[in-house]
Amino acid sequence: MSTAQTPDDGGMLAAAVPNRPRQAGIAYSNAPAPHQTESTMPSRTAPAPQTTTEPASAGGGRRRRGVNREGLEAGKRSTRTILWVLLAAALVLYGFPFLYLLFTSFKTPIDTIAVPPTILPKEWTLDNYINALGRNGVPASFINSIQTAVISTLLSLVLAVPAAYGITRYKTASGRVFIMAALVTRMVPPVAIGIPLASMMASVGLADTPIALSIAHTTISLPLSIWLMSSFFEAVPQDLEEAATVDGCSRLGALWRVVIPVVSGGIAVTAIFAFLASWNEFLFALLMTAVRSQTTPVVIANFQTQFGLDWGSMTALAAVYSIPVILLTLLLQRKIVAGMTLGAVKG
Amino acid sequence: MSSRKTISRLAALGSLSTAVILAATACGAGGPATSGGAASSSINVLVEAGGHAELQPIADQCKKDTGVNVNFVELPYDGLFNRLSSEFSSGTVSFDVAALDSVWLPSFKDALQPIDELFTDEAKKDIFPSLVKEANVDGHFIGMPAWTNAEIVLYRKDLFEDAKNKADFKAKYGYDLAAPKTWQQYQDISAFFTKDGMYGTDVKGGVETEYLAHVLQAGSPMVLDSKNNVVVDNAAHKQALDFYTSLVKDAPAGAAQVDWAAAQNLFNQGKTAMTQFWAHAYRQIPKDSPVYGKVGTAPMIGGSAGVAGVPGPWYLSVPKATKNTDAAKKFVKCAFDHNDLAIQSSLGLAARVSAFQKYQDQPGYESFKPLIETLNAPATATRPATAKWQQIVDTVLVPMLQKAVAGGDSATLLADAKSKIQALLK
Repeated sequence: MSTAQTPDDGGMLAAAVPNRPRQAGIAYSNAPAPHQTESTMPSRTAPAPQTTTEPASAGGGRRRRGVNREGLEAGKRSTRTILWVLLAAALVLYGFPFLYLLFTSFKTPIDTIAVPPTILPKEWTLDNYINALGRNGVPASFINSIQTAVISTLLSLVLAVPAAYGITRYKTASGRVFIMAALVTRMVPPVAIGIPLASMMASVGLADTPIALSIAHTTISLPLSIWLMSSFFEAVPQDLEEAATVDGCSRLGALWRVVIPVVSGGIAVTAIFAFLASWNEFLFALLMTAVRSQTTPVVIANFQTQFGLDWGSMTALAAVYSIPVILLTLLLQRKIVAGMTLGAVKG
Repeated sequence: MSSRKTISRLAALGSLSTAVILAATACGAGGPATSGGAASSSINVLVEAGGHAELQPIADQCKKDTGVNVNFVELPYDGLFNRLSSEFSSGTVSFDVAALDSVWLPSFKDALQPIDELFTDEAKKDIFPSLVKEANVDGHFIGMPAWTNAEIVLYRKDLFEDAKNKADFKAKYGYDLAAPKTWQQYQDISAFFTKDGMYGTDVKGGVETEYLAHVLQAGSPMVLDSKNNVVVDNAAHKQALDFYTSLVKDAPAGAAQVDWAAAQNLFNQGKTAMTQFWAHAYRQIPKDSPVYGKVGTAPMIGGSAGVAGVPGPWYLSVPKATKNTDAAKKFVKCAFDHNDLAIQSSLGLAARVSAFQKYQDQPGYESFKPLIETLNAPATATRPATAKWQQIVDTVLVPMLQKAVAGGDSATLLADAKSKIQALLK
């Protein structure tokens, strides 16, 4: 771009100071920083004709600059407005069902089945919570859900972290095959592996135990965990590990002391995903649990019976069941955000 | 440093949690071990979530009488079928007794133990005839009825007893307004009450049982005859379907999507003046419903073959794979002996005729007389004993009904249904 065609102040000043060295991509294409303007001031007194034309051009430049700034700010404002509208729409889309569930949990029985449905309860009641939490087996199911989800999350991390590290650092053909093959379990409908898994667990004496269900849930979360962790390891410069080895660390020592602290945000994200996959899983829990290890999603589903649907109690228990996940997400919020942006500056 | 500290803390926390969890994992939080080990006096009973309420008072009594301790495993309806299928096919079961929907008996007959010794003459006399017949599969009794249900007519007593409504109805139709007994009366009353934002009845396009009851009322076996010929295109099926669809104009819009839950909601909200519904619904009307205390009951309506309904019983069955056969059979017998205790549960159903009769005159149990009459009606019959029944319902009958209530030609739809059912049964 030539200086004559440059509409901004930088272009004008560059034309006024012919000997000034050009800095590609800074002075000629963008508005200059204040210090750049100051640095050109002594040379401005030299050519008179240019000085006479300066007010007009400068005025024009200022006008254009003002227009651009306003335009730019208006553009920014409208972009911001659109983003806010999109954010509000997304919030309504995702938040409304949960709010509706929450409001329904405070409704009276007849209110829950109102035709047409109402959003807010006509009369607020805690009866649904008393009924749901007082139901036989509910506290035990909460403990089972926690046990299962924690074990499954730990299993996923223990297996996924070294697997992903090995795949990303050694970049072998077998590693590439392995990471693709890990997805196979996600391609098969869960019901197709649920029944054989249930039979296998029964044959090794693990029927109706949280550990059996945790292993089943790990088949769901492990492929996702490996893929997630691989992308986080990819973002860590290899120089870091090399520096650690120069300082005397072994390969594993470098992984433990240097790499894992760097990807701790990623581990938190992976842990959350693995935990949620297990926490909300229904089908395997349905097929594999009985008296000892039934988890809460199955208990929630039991409010729909052949004799009717107890909406109030169902929504009350679902609302209570959401609390630990919300708390966990809030507690790990900073780690999650850090993990989400871990690969953003790569390259 | 802070990252390392965080990792260390997480690791410590993780180790501690793992230790606690793995220690607790040995048995889970729910209770004792499942079936499959040595025989014991504790049994697991697999039951649909609604059925648990029915069986709990019986289990409490049986523990006192027989010493058999019962642990219930509750599952939702669809999940129960999947669970039974997977465990029966694997040969390893986690339960000693299962409460089975009547339509599942033919599917699982090979995995269930005969319990012929429990069906004494005295017992058979106290069970509705259609249930005795249904429990016997291939010459052996494989399930003891635990509770049964059937559709009856629920109607708005307050509207039916209103003097103006009575006078207007008589002036228009020439006979007294009362609980309907025939198809024609049901049509007239439905049309009469369809005004001012209210509807005479509902039409359930999402479920098949009510239509099948009309088929029985029209004098035909439902779908299959005694030789397993598909008779879904005979005159009785067409009459029944035409009657079913004739009510659409007096029912709320969207009949194709109306199922049991929707129909029950409409009635409990006071939107419909009548409904044909499972008898248990009478005792389940919420106290804050506008129709609470204003509902009357009557037997199912009758067609050319008289009153008829489709029973909805559940049976207690003992799997062949259980190690606790003795305790399981003790419980099944005890459940039959104390069948009337189930009536005191929130759902209030039983299987024995004597149990219903014991309560039929008590306030709050006004649904029992119509239920007994419907279940004892000569035309009442259970669903065909075929392992493909659920498939026939889901893939043929319900889609056919949905098209019919949306205005499809009944003869064409029934002919189409016949060929599809024949293909399924091949």
